[in-house]
Amino acid sequence: MSKTPDNSAILEWPAKYNEIPKEVFERVDLWPIELEKIFYGDEWHPIVHQSEIPNIGDYKASELGEMPLFAVRGEDNQIRIFQNTCTHRGTTLVTESLGNKTEFECPYHRWLFSPQGELVGCPNSREFTPGFDKKDFSLPTFRTEEFCGLYFITMSETVAPLKEYLGEDFYEPLSRILGGDGRLKFAGYQKVHYDCNWKAYCDNDGYHAPLLHLAFKMLNWQGGQGVQNVSENGHLSFESELKIPDDITALKDASILDFKGTETSTGSIVQMQFPLTVYSKHMDMLNIRYAFPKGPKGIEVHYAYFTHEDDDDEMIEHRIRQASNLLGPCGLISMEDASIFSRIDKGNKTPGMAIFQKGVKDEYKLELKVGQNDESGNLPRWEHYRKLMGFKRAES
Amino acid sequence: MSEIEPNVIFSIENLNRDYICALDKLDMNKWLACFNKQEGTYKLISNENESNGFPIAFMLDDKYERLQDRVTQVTVIQEDSTEHYQTRHMTQLTSIVDLGNNRYQANYNFSVFYTQNLIEQTAILCVGRYEDIVLIENTASFIQRKAVIDTNVLPRYMAYPV
Repeated sequence: MSKTPDNSAILEWPAKYNEIPKEVFERVDLWPIELEKIFYGDEWHPIVHQSEIPNIGDYKASELGEMPLFAVRGEDNQIRIFQNTCTHRGTTLVTESLGNKTEFECPYHRWLFSPQGELVGCPNSREFTPGFDKKDFSLPTFRTEEFCGLYFITMSETVAPLKEYLGEDFYEPLSRILGGDGRLKFAGYQKVHYDCNWKAYCDNDGYHAPLLHLAFKMLNWQGGQGVQNVSENGHLSFESELKIPDDITALKDASILDFKGTETSTGSIVQMQFPLTVYSKHMDMLNIRYAFPKGPKGIEVHYAYFTHEDDDDEMIEHRIRQASNLLGPCGLISMEDASIFSRIDKGNKTPGMAIFQKGVKDEYKLELKVGQNDESGNLPRWEHYRKLMGFKRAES
Repeated sequence: MSEIEPNVIFSIENLNRDYICALDKLDMNKWLACFNKQEGTYKLISNENESNGFPIAFMLDDKYERLQDRVTQVTVIQEDSTEHYQTRHMTQLTSIVDLGNNRYQANYNFSVFYTQNLIEQTAILCVGRYEDIVLIENTASFIQRKAVIDTNVLPRYMAYPV
């Protein structure tokens, strides 16, 4: 890793805080800097919930930036996250997205690793370099922390511990999305590729919801009281009361919109953790959206859904049919977001600025107090991004 | 399939043809007409979820009213925000099993091509298999059409059933 460069010459940022240069979504030369400063920098990234790999030997492949990795539940029932690479010549050890193995063998020269990451076998080792010791060739791991069963990693040795990094305004609602106690059961994925830069994917705002999503209007779905909390390091957390009318005439089967939950939640929580993970709980849908940029263009999103260990059969069925119809890349209340990601990406090939308006009181000042339906909540994240990337802001 | 009567194969193939032609013409009412009004269901699920026993689907219309709401979703609720695309369904019947009581389990392989914004390049939307249960009375109708797709990562959001 190089020292922080002065990237002022690469891209000059406008003086106004509510203006974002459209080229930031399009410039391919920014991606290697983003990898180093953000994905491999001082940020935490969620990789796996314990319920996704419930049995000993269960593993899940994932990525951080461009780095392949996998999470595995060891024989001691501990979850560890390793770089997906043989410590010999670098071959990937895991090729499937999910699976179960008692040991991880590299097919190239048959080096063998335990689910705890130790090198336990390597043929012909008497002919290796003098002083060769298997203990020096365990799988590389990461700084890892767990919250309500969700495991996060970072490449940074200096970033604050996870809860401090997230802040209470963020991790308290997150704990409710994760069932309050993390005792979740995994229910499945919806995976999709969106044709946009990763920053367009995570730039969704509090302003659009009642305007873009026609379903809200057709279903007479009233937005209730709520809050939007933003942090200086770019995390956003929305919480709002969901008022679903008794009489929904637009649908023949309105049971799909029932809110059966007994949680203390007001109905709707949506959170965006910098740089690009979304967590949500609408009605009874518990959802983590793991997201993986595919270089400067394109992003793969894995919507992961959960039920709770205490759910009865009726509740499980309800959560499944709600999540399978309302959210994700085909969902009644979310498909339009996906449409915007690709349209905003096309439109951003034009010159000039993307401009934020709703909630902006002073264009030359960054405001951390924002209203529930303001789009200005995205601006602290952009400022955090600008600083990390080393772009100089123009004089006002 | 040797024990299956030719007229049964004919009825099942006719139903499948009505189904894919309805979708390729984006005629959602004709799509709905392929399903049995008492018991018809539709599901679109990834092979990854199906083979691991994970119940989450992309689309889950587990009763006729849900099928009707799928028509409303496509034609009214999301009509103006969708980037529309032309589909072309290719199907291949792979097996038919007689379940008794005029019910048959039919399996198809399928591939669906799509042309983005109706005028742009053509690519593969998904490939997979249909696992159907067909009732043949006066006419044939789907009790179940389950599309299990090998395409675990969709190449774009999907506005219509396949």
